[in-house]
Amino acid sequence: MIPNPSSNTSGSAPSSALVVDDSLPQRLLLSHMLEELGYSVTTAEDGEDAISKFNDHRPDIIFMDIEMPVMDGINSVRIIREILDDEFIPIIFITGGSSEQYLNECIDVGGDDFIKKPFNTTILSAKTRSLLRIKELYSKQIEQKREIEAFKLIEDQEHETAAMLYENIVKAGYMESPNVRSELSPMAMFNGDLLLCAYTPANKLNVLLGDFTGHGITASVAAAPASEIFYGMTAKGFGIREITEEINTKLNKLLPPHMFLAATLVCLDRETHNLNSITCGLPDHFLFNKKTGEIESLISNNLPLGIVPSADLNLTESHTEVTSSHRLFMFTDGVIETENAAGEPFDFEGVTNCLTTDDSLNSFDKIINALEKHQGEQGQQDDITLVRLTCDFDHGKWDIHEEIKKTVSMEPSSWKVSSTMDCNTLKRLNPVPAMVNSLMEIQGLLPFRESIFLIVTELFVNSLDHGLLGLDSALKQTPDGFAKFFELKQERLENLDHGDIKLMFSHRPQGNGGELTIRIQDTGRGFDEKTVYSEVTDNEQCSGRGIRLIRQICDALEYSDNGRQATAIFTWENE
Amino acid sequence: MSVSSSISGTKLTINISGRFDFAAHKDFREAIDSISSNHINSVVVDMRTTDYVDSSALGMLLMLKNQMGDSKDAISLINAKPEVKKILEIANFGQLFTLA
Repeated sequence: MIPNPSSNTSGSAPSSALVVDDSLPQRLLLSHMLEELGYSVTTAEDGEDAISKFNDHRPDIIFMDIEMPVMDGINSVRIIREILDDEFIPIIFITGGSSEQYLNECIDVGGDDFIKKPFNTTILSAKTRSLLRIKELYSKQIEQKREIEAFKLIEDQEHETAAMLYENIVKAGYMESPNVRSELSPMAMFNGDLLLCAYTPANKLNVLLGDFTGHGITASVAAAPASEIFYGMTAKGFGIREITEEINTKLNKLLPPHMFLAATLVCLDRETHNLNSITCGLPDHFLFNKKTGEIESLISNNLPLGIVPSADLNLTESHTEVTSSHRLFMFTDGVIETENAAGEPFDFEGVTNCLTTDDSLNSFDKIINALEKHQGEQGQQDDITLVRLTCDFDHGKWDIHEEIKKTVSMEPSSWKVSSTMDCNTLKRLNPVPAMVNSLMEIQGLLPFRESIFLIVTELFVNSLDHGLLGLDSALKQTPDGFAKFFELKQERLENLDHGDIKLMFSHRPQGNGGELTIRIQDTGRGFDEKTVYSEVTDNEQCSGRGIRLIRQICDALEYSDNGRQATAIFTWENE
Repeated sequence: MSVSSSISGTKLTINISGRFDFAAHKDFREAIDSISSNHINSVVVDMRTTDYVDSSALGMLLMLKNQMGDSKDAISLINAKPEVKKILEIANFGQLFTLA
C-alpha cells in the first residue's frame, strides 16, 4: 500500500522524477503535471545531460524522449542501465509521431513503458504509480537477496570452522590400519556417518562404523562424544561391549528422542583369530571368505544406540573364528539404498555380486565402481560409507602399529598398591583394564602390559567365577555347558549380595628389571585348585586354559588358603 | 506421502501412506500431539500403505514412544510390507514396539 502516490514507502519525502526532453514546452508541461501529482522534478535537455542529472540526483523514475540532439534517449538509457547494474529505476519513454519505429529498441536497452504525447494526467499518474510499486518490490527483493548472501557467507565460514573442529575430534585418535580400507562420501560438509579405528594396548583392532539419524551438522554433533569414548576406552583396553554401553549411555543422555546412532563395533583379535562384533541397527554386513567364496551375513541384533538406557540394552555379541582369507564388508544404508535412474536400489545383491574369489580382482574396488555406475547421473542421495576389514594376521600388518608405540624404559623402583572391590562394584564393571592402566602410568611396565593384563584378567576371572560365585568349571567341559556356564554366571552375579575381591600389586627392582608380585584374595568359600584347574589335555577342552596361560607367562603361581588366595610372580628385564 | 489419524475412545490410529520420511514430520507430529489431550493409552500405526521408511521415520516413531512413556505394549506397528518390516527389524524395533 502506498498511501500517497508520490511518496516512496521508506519515508514521507516525495518521489523524484527526471524528465528528459529537448523541447522546452514539452519539458515544462510534463514537469508541471508531475509536480501537480506530488513529485519533485529535475529536467535535462538531451541524453548526455540526462546521464549527468541522473548521477547527481538519482531519481526514482525517469521520463525519456527518444529523438534528441547530442545523445538520443536510447543511448542514454543504455548507459544509465549500465550504471544502475542490478539496481532498478523505472524508465518511461516518451513517444509520439515518427518515434514509434524505435519501440522494440527502447525495450531492448532497458525501457519499461511508454507514454504517448499528448499526455493524459490519469494515464500518467497510473503508469507512474504502478512502476514505482514494481521498483519498491524490486528493491525489497534485492535487499533480501543481499541479506541472504551475507548470512550465507557467515554460515559457510562457521560451518567450515565447525567442520574442522569436528574433523579434529573424530580423527584425533584414529589409527591408520593396513587391515582397514574405507571409502566415505558425505552428502554435506558434515558426515552423518562415522568411522573410528584404533588398537588396544593388547594390540587388538577395534573398529566402529556408525550412522547418525539425518545428515549434516545435527547428525555429526554427537559424533564428538562418541569418538572420544571410543578412543579413550580403546586406549585403556576396554572391550567393545563396555565401549558400546558407554557410548549408548552418553548418547541416551545427549540426544533428543528422535535421534540415534546405528552402529557396528568389531574387535579383531590377532591372538585368538576371533572377530567379535556388536551390531546395532546397521544393514547386514558380509563376512566373505576370499578363498572359498562363502558369504556369511552379520545381521543387526541390537537396538541402535542412544534410544534406551544401557541397563535395558541387553547387548548381544557375536564371536566368529576367522582366517586370513576373511574380509568383513561393512556399510551404511546409503550404499544399499542408492537408487538408479529407474528408482531401483543397489541393495544387498549389489554388494554380494561384487564379492569375488578371483585374486586378480579387488572386491572393494568392484563395489565402489558398481555403486558409481548404478547411481549414474542421479547424484548422491545419502551419506555413503563402505569399509573393508581384512582379517589378515600376518605380522607385517600388526607390527607397524607395535613400532609406533615407543618403548620407554624407566628405572625400576619399589612400590605397593592394593584395592578391594565389593560385590556391588563387581556386578557393575570389569575393574581389570582401569587397574592395569594405573599400573602402567606409574611404572616402566608398559612394554609388558599385554602379559600383565592377561595375568590379572585370568586371576580375577578365576576368583570371581570359582571363588565368589562358586561356579564349577566342570560345566565347561562341553560346548553346551560353556553356554550354560555363562548363563549361570550372569544369574549368580546379579544375585551376588556379599563378598569382595582384593587385588594387591607389589614391585621391587631386580637386576636390570624388576619383580612384580600380583596377589588376589577373595572372601568366597574356597575351592580345591586341582579340581578346578585340571591340566588341559587337549585343545578342544573348554576350560583350564587360563591357569596354563598364567603358568607360561609367570615365574611362579601359587594357590593358598584353600584357593582363596593366589600369588603370581612376574619378572621382567629391560633390553 | 500422507498421514491421517483417528481416535476411538482411548485408542489412536495413525495411517501413513507412501514414503514415511522427513516430509511426514509435521503431519506426524500433529497426529501425536493429540495424545496427551485425549487420554490416549494405546496407539496403532497402520503401515499397510507405507512404501518406505527411513531413519527419520524411525526417529518419529521414537518420538511417539517418548510421548507414550515406557509401556512396550502401548504402541503397535501393524501391517508393514516386507521391505518396511525389514528396516524395522534391522533397527530391532521389535524390542520397543509390538510389530504385527
